[in-house]
Amino acid sequence: MRMKKTLQLATILSAGLMMQQPLYAAESSERFVFVGYGDVKYESADVAGTDAFSARFVPIFLFSLNDKMHVEAELEVGLNADGETVTELEYADIHYFLNDNTTITAGKFLLPFGQFSANWHPSWINRSIWTPGIYGAHGSSQAMDPILPILSDVGVAAQQVYQVGSAKVFLDVFMTNGPRSEAEYDEEGVVDDHDIALARLISPTASIDPDADEHGEAFPEVEFEATNSDNNSNKAFGGRIAVALLPSIEIGTSYYQGAYDENGQLDIKANGVDINLISTHAILRGEYIRTETDAFVEKDYEDVIDSFSRNGWFLQGTFFIGHLFDGLGSTEIVIEHAQTKKVEEAERWMVGVNYWLDPRSVIKVGYEDTDVVDGPDDKRFAVQFSYGF
Amino acid sequence: MMKNQLTVTIFVLFSTLLTSLQVSSTELLSGAELINNNCARCHNSRPIQEFSKSEWKVIMPHMREKAHLKGAEVQAILEFMEIATTPAQAMNVKEVVNIAADPKEVLTRYGCQGCHQVQGAGGTLGPSLDNVISEKGRAFFLRKVKEPQFNNASSAMPQMPITDEELEALAEFLSSK
Repeated sequence: MRMKKTLQLATILSAGLMMQQPLYAAESSERFVFVGYGDVKYESADVAGTDAFSARFVPIFLFSLNDKMHVEAELEVGLNADGETVTELEYADIHYFLNDNTTITAGKFLLPFGQFSANWHPSWINRSIWTPGIYGAHGSSQAMDPILPILSDVGVAAQQVYQVGSAKVFLDVFMTNGPRSEAEYDEEGVVDDHDIALARLISPTASIDPDADEHGEAFPEVEFEATNSDNNSNKAFGGRIAVALLPSIEIGTSYYQGAYDENGQLDIKANGVDINLISTHAILRGEYIRTETDAFVEKDYEDVIDSFSRNGWFLQGTFFIGHLFDGLGSTEIVIEHAQTKKVEEAERWMVGVNYWLDPRSVIKVGYEDTDVVDGPDDKRFAVQFSYGF
Repeated sequence: MMKNQLTVTIFVLFSTLLTSLQVSSTELLSGAELINNNCARCHNSRPIQEFSKSEWKVIMPHMREKAHLKGAEVQAILEFMEIATTPAQAMNVKEVVNIAADPKEVLTRYGCQGCHQVQGAGGTLGPSLDNVISEKGRAFFLRKVKEPQFNNASSAMPQMPITDEELEALAEFLSSK
């Protein structure tokens, strides 16, 4: 009897909810939007010896709480080598529009360092199939060791926009959990050679002097993957200031600093310059990044903090040849050059041809040749179909 | 710990300073000009018809932070989208007739110069309209306005709810240039 009443009640409630649903949907249509992007890629990579198709789906959820508050979240859904579905939270944050020109952001957000992380990385926006070498492979693999493999982090940020005559000035500041050392630092494992220390710091797989192996295991590797925790009480901070003469020019400079060891003694600092030139027939994008990374080294039988410098840059030109030759329609040519210097020096050329099916769907064909100074060179060919929705 | 407190203090002070600054502003650009100036900084401009007006109202706050737009600029873009997606037939008939008689008003109403130059004034996202008819022909112009993507699939030009009368007046005006 009780069961019957429960079923009746559940039926009535369900019917009520179903009747409410159209009304709810109509109201929510002005508050929630589901957008995003995705891509399918065929890539043949020389060094890795891989020759495979891959696919990603990157949904973005947008929700307007009210005129002042806006929630956004992006997931990246893909497959790993074992066929398992891998989901990564790219960002999940809330914007609070304090006034006409000020936005406060809290949560996991794309770091406003340079322009690639914050704006250019989606595959339907990035004119190249690949991530510029200085930023890492973003979930894939690449021959160049990145200068600053950071995309997003957890914390707070503030943004302001100024109109100064005909120019706009963009100002972003942020504070986040920051980087950490993947392996705990052990004072007994202090390395006694500057180059070995640097090699270990930048790349745990770097080819180094075998005599240093007994020390190498203890040397920290800097990890930038965002987490909801911090291994020290020091927050990373930084920001970007940019001047834009729209619609043609945007030039910015960025700063990042964060302690990565448990005691908060060892910092990684990064400076960057980015440029974005837009014309009717071409786009030129580029970034330069220089990092200074602290590490303990042994000098005169004492452990001292030394800094290791590294830098790299990329420049990407996109030429709308379809604008010049009617028969080529929406075809464009992309040429990119990138370099990393000091440890793990490498140089990369990329050429590609893109054909746009519509303003948000593109077929890219690209060839990439990476010359690694102390390691095997890499050549890649890929075809990617990318779409924004 | 001291370093962390200092970092937090600097961040809070800096944020407070930022929010208290009075920013000088110049005359607000039109929604079409703002689309021309900002979207293509990162990606192809998306056709306005791709999303509904209510969807754009949710998407634009997302783009406000991404593109460093002011609130008033977002509002101007949304107002332009409203015009670009509202059939002219639904507007005041008398107004439409008057506008059709003045091609310059047609240019203004649909924000053409947000992306195209006419007599040296206007945006650069699209080509200048000064010689479009002499170089491409009247038929090309009429079809381009009606079917913006017919010759270029990646064209971001929106399909405006322009009436035949308005289009003819505009073509006549541009033919005489």
